[in-house]
This record gives sequence, structure tokens and C-alpha cells, in this order.
Amino acid sequence: MRSYIALIAGKLTRFVSGVLGLGAGGTWPGEVALSISPQILTTLSSQLTEGIIIVAGTNGKTTTSSIIAKILEEKGRRVIHNATGANLVNGITSTLLRNANWLGNLQADWGVFETDENSLPRILSEFKIHPDQIGTKFKIIVVLLNLFRDQLDRYGEVDVIAEKWEKALLPLPKDTTVVLNADDPGIVGIGEKLYCKKIYFGIEDKKLLQSKIQHAVDSVFCPNCGSRLTFAGTFFSHLGHWNCKKCKLKRPCPTIYDGNVKLPGLYNRYNVYAAIGASLVLGINKQIIDQTLAHVTAAFGRQEELTILGKRVKLVLSKNPTGFNESLRTVISLGARHLLFVLNDRIPDGRDVSWIWDVDFEQLPAWVTPVVSGDRAYDLALRLKYARPVHKLPKGAVSEPVTPILVYERLETALKFCLEGIDVKETLYILPTYSAMLEVRKILTGSKIL
Amino acid sequence: MREINRKSITIGWLYPDLMSTYGDRGNIIVLTKRCQWRGIEVKVTSITLETQNSELYNSDLIFMGGAQDRQQKLAGEDFLKRKGPVVKELVEKAIPGLFVCAAYQAIGHYYKPYQGDPIPGPGIFDLYTQHPGDQAKRLIGNIVAELNSEFGIRNSELRTTIVGFENHGGRTYLGKNLKPFAKVLKGFGNNGEDGYEGAVYKNAIGSYFHGPILTKNPHIADWLISRALAEKYGNKVQLTPLDDSLEWQAHQVMLSRLGVT
Repeated sequence: MRSYIALIAGKLTRFVSGVLGLGAGGTWPGEVALSISPQILTTLSSQLTEGIIIVAGTNGKTTTSSIIAKILEEKGRRVIHNATGANLVNGITSTLLRNANWLGNLQADWGVFETDENSLPRILSEFKIHPDQIGTKFKIIVVLLNLFRDQLDRYGEVDVIAEKWEKALLPLPKDTTVVLNADDPGIVGIGEKLYCKKIYFGIEDKKLLQSKIQHAVDSVFCPNCGSRLTFAGTFFSHLGHWNCKKCKLKRPCPTIYDGNVKLPGLYNRYNVYAAIGASLVLGINKQIIDQTLAHVTAAFGRQEELTILGKRVKLVLSKNPTGFNESLRTVISLGARHLLFVLNDRIPDGRDVSWIWDVDFEQLPAWVTPVVSGDRAYDLALRLKYARPVHKLPKGAVSEPVTPILVYERLETALKFCLEGIDVKETLYILPTYSAMLEVRKILTGSKIL
Repeated sequence: MREINRKSITIGWLYPDLMSTYGDRGNIIVLTKRCQWRGIEVKVTSITLETQNSELYNSDLIFMGGAQDRQQKLAGEDFLKRKGPVVKELVEKAIPGLFVCAAYQAIGHYYKPYQGDPIPGPGIFDLYTQHPGDQAKRLIGNIVAELNSEFGIRNSELRTTIVGFENHGGRTYLGKNLKPFAKVLKGFGNNGEDGYEGAVYKNAIGSYFHGPILTKNPHIADWLISRALAEKYGNKVQLTPLDDSLEWQAHQVMLSRLGVT
């Protein structure tokens, strides 16, 4: 009964906020429902007939989970998926509420949910196997993509999260499968402690290995014995081919190291391979997987392409040093000339913006004139000022970066200026933090979420 | 053609691979660029676990940043036994230094974790830090403080404030003779009780400020640079003024945000 009240309250919240145009309606329904019945998530998810796939990691959750959802839909399955990236407990609950009717019935086979790093333990404990599901083919799959430094003021340290995940994953039933990134020592370290089934993905292409380790790295120490790891090379950040000379722990051979990757960016290879991994565990045949991958487009805000007045806009979410470095590398490789950076410091972005100094803006070529906006536009402008190269001076001369960095405090003004500054068929690349991405979408498309 | 009159400074960066959380390398970037923009050459030496003490002695300026627990432990023993005493000697000799967050804690007499014995430090600064446990509030947020006027850190804008972001569980208490760096206007500071932030001893500054600290506080960066040059070249140094309008604009945004005029 309580669950039913919670369900109605949740659905009413969504209805009301939709009518009044309040917020994105992404988390409030769940919040309200959970406050009435904390079991509502378990109750609703127990109706899923075939299984649950949970995707966790610092970067790549939204893209990976959306590919998995598409593959399942291609196979004709009914899928519930938190496509907009509301990945806290309230967001996932909201997604289930949205898909349930007013009688509380959910008609779906699969739940595919990306979860926030801190929420993974709670989500795993909520998705208890229902008595009706035991002995059936109900499957639980957990995908662990990577662990990078992100929002230290919110999450705390990478090691702390790894520990939390280990504790949360240990009690899972033995026939659960965990899909793991072989190139991430921290993720492999978690896998070592688990008794369930494991399958690894990774990049084998040695040509792409760089010998120098990028600055903003974590996990350069063995998760098993604590010694400094040896790297044959890294693809980016601390992901690469690694081994420990002391305790002999090393990168496992990945089962998935190949696939039809249509999205640009090295990081997207991992996302696609992870999705292939999950699909193989489900016994989905290669043809369906390849078919889906052939027309995979970017997920919500992740290299999402919009066309505004005939001009192309690409949104590339950039919310932590590793993600930002890879976004920069990717857009530069795509030939970007017009860049708009939007830096906010709201709760979803992380209130401390010190992390932008861990991003290698020094790689920006001279022919790119960046425009800056957001709550902390001046901090980002400052970072860009200090990223510019210095030329050798005659004695006594003082040098200053001469090209002004364009700062527009108001996002609408920044967008207007940037769009006016490009020709039709040219692309404007926008690199926003999370809340900035929502704002940009709202302004450009008139809606905050899908 | 060799420029024999060109000035240069060597920055000794302690444990850059272990103690550089959350943008702390930005302090090195700011110091380096502010020198290079003035035609002063900069060499940054990485002082790691494997580096010999002799390298550290070559420093005209020392920097040590924040760290996560595991990395802190790894650096801790090396710092206490090998590098710490050298840093102490240099600080006593008035070599300028900047010690942020975990480094600020590490240069004191000891750090007392919530459970377990105090971890000794080389006592470079007369202070100690203790952690009240995870039940206690963590001191996190944007912070504004007013500089202790004793240091005479001047700047053309006549600004006396510093802005940054603090994020620490440990509470630091200064000894009677150790001067605080600044007085908290908004935020918590060293311990959330006595209203002070950071500490200064001779030419060395300890602070909880992330930001990183030097980015929106160019007057502090220039103070460290001019001190380094003065100690090295033995005469009063006048640094060429730079155009810091962007720095002060970013600084002002935070002052306004925190309601400080």
C-alpha cells in the first residue's frame, strides 16, 4: 500500500513539474517517492523480467549505457534506461516511475542504468533479486569503466571509491558478471577481489601507446601491493599496458579488444568495447551488435550534434581533467577552430574549480580562439592565459599574451556571439561542465532534457 | 648569444607525482609564467622519492602540494627522514617556500589522526594538526581571508585579500610564535575556531588554500618570486609590474560571491 502511495506521489510530482515547467523533472519524482516508501526502487525493479545492467565509472557511463540500451532494443527487448544521465538513486527511481503506469505496472525486460560513483553501493543493494526471479534466467551485469580523479570535494579520493565498490560488489551472486577495463589498474584491482564472473575489455593497439605519463593521473600504484607500477605505455591518463614488478599483478588479456567504433575519440573505444562485452555476456549475436554499432550516434551531451540555423554545434561534455584532456585532443583532431568553453561550479559540476589547472590547455593550437563563459568564466580565462606559450625576449622586455581571451559572462550572449562568428557548414565545439551542458541545451533547443 | 645578465630561479617541486592533487601544479605554472613574462628564466626540479638531497639544495624556491592519504603515506617517511631536514635548513636560511594543504600539515610537529598515534613531522613550522574523525564536519568551501599586514605584501591594486577553496578534515593549531598568514573573512581557515588561515615563517608560507592559491592571488606569487630573487642575488628586487587585470577580475568575482566588499 505504501509503495502505491509513493508511486502516485512520484507520478504526480512529475506531472505537476512538467505542467509548471519546473526543473527537468529528472530527480524530484524519485525523491518524493523514496521519502514515502524507501523500498519503491526494489518494488518497481522486481518487475523487470530479464535482468539489470549497471554501468559505473568516472567517464563514459552515459555513452556506454546508451549503446547497451540500443543493442537490447535492436534485439526487440523492452528497455528502461536513464538516458538523460540522472544517475543518483532518486534519478534511477524517477526513471522507473516514468515507465510504470498508474497501477504501478512496469512492462519491461531490462533495466540499463548508469550510476554515480557514490550511488553504486546503494543501487546494488536496492536491486535485490526478487523471489520470482530466482532460478530464472534473470541476470545482473555490472560494467566498471574506469576511475579517474573527479570532483574531489564531492567524492573524496579515488582509493576511497574503489574500496566502496569492492565492498558493494562482493556480496553479488556468483552468477553475476562484471565487465572490467583491463587497462585500468584500479578497476582490475577491484576485480581481483571478486568471486563472480569477470570479462575484460581493453585496447590492444600498441601503436597508440604513449611513453610519457600524463599529469593528472591516479592509480599509478599497484592496487594489490602498493608499489609503483611499470607501464609499457599509456593510451591516456593511467590507462594502458601495465604490470607490477613486485607482486606480479598485471593487465589481464582482454576478451574484447575490437569493434565497430564510429564515435571519434580514443575514450569511445573503451565505451564501445564495454558495451560489446555486456552484450556478449547476454548471448546477443555479433550481427545484431554490429548492426547497432553501425548507426550509434552520440549520447545526450556527449559529442551530441545539434544544428542551429544551418550551423553545426557539437556538445562535448568536459567535467574532469581526464575527460577534458580527451575532449580537447578529440576536437583538435577533428580540426576544430571555434571553441566555446563553459565552466560552472554548481553542485553537479563540483564547487572547486582548481581541477582546470590539471587540464593540458597548452595543447590548444595557436589558430584556435577560445571563447569562455559560465559562472567561473574568469577562472577559465585565467587558465587559458597561463597556457599560452612564451616567446624568448630580448633583455629587459616584458611579454604578455597579446590576443585577448573573449569572456562573455552571460551564456546567451556567448552562444549568440559564437554562432554569429561561424559560417554555415562550420562547426562550433562547445566544451561545458555538466550543469553548463544542460543550460546550453536548454538555450539552443528550448528543452533541458530529452 | 648567451645572456650573461639574465636572472634565473630554480624551483624545487617536492613529490610532484605523489603530492599534486586538484590543480596544485597550477602554482608551478603561475610562478613559471610570471617569471618568464619578465624575462627571468625558470628551472623546475622534480624532487621525488628517488631524488638526492643535493638537488634540493639547489632550490631558490620550494613548493609542496596536497595529497591523498595513500600518496601522503608514501611521501611521509621520505620527507621525515630525508627531504624534511633539508627543507628545514633551507627555510631557516630564508629560502622562500609554499606549502599547501597536506604539505602544510606535513611541515608541522605532528599530525594526529582520529585513531592511532600521532605521525611526527620535521617541525619546520611551529604547529600541529589533528583530525576529529569522520563524524565531524569537513571544512570545505570557498574562502576569503585578509592578509596579515605584518608581511607587507604589496601590490599595485592595494589589495589585501586572498581568495581560494579549502577542503580539509584536519584542524591545524599554530604555536605561540608562529604568525598566521591571514584572517578569515568568510570560511573556516586553519581550524574553524580561531579565525586564522595559514601561517608564515621567515619566507615560507603554509596554507589550506586550493584554487590553486597563486592563480587569483598574483600578489602572493610575486612576493615569493621577489623573495627568491632577493635571497639569490642579494639585493632589493623590483619586479616589473604585469597586467593582472584578469587575475583581479577573477579575484573580485569570488569576493562578490562571498559578500565581501
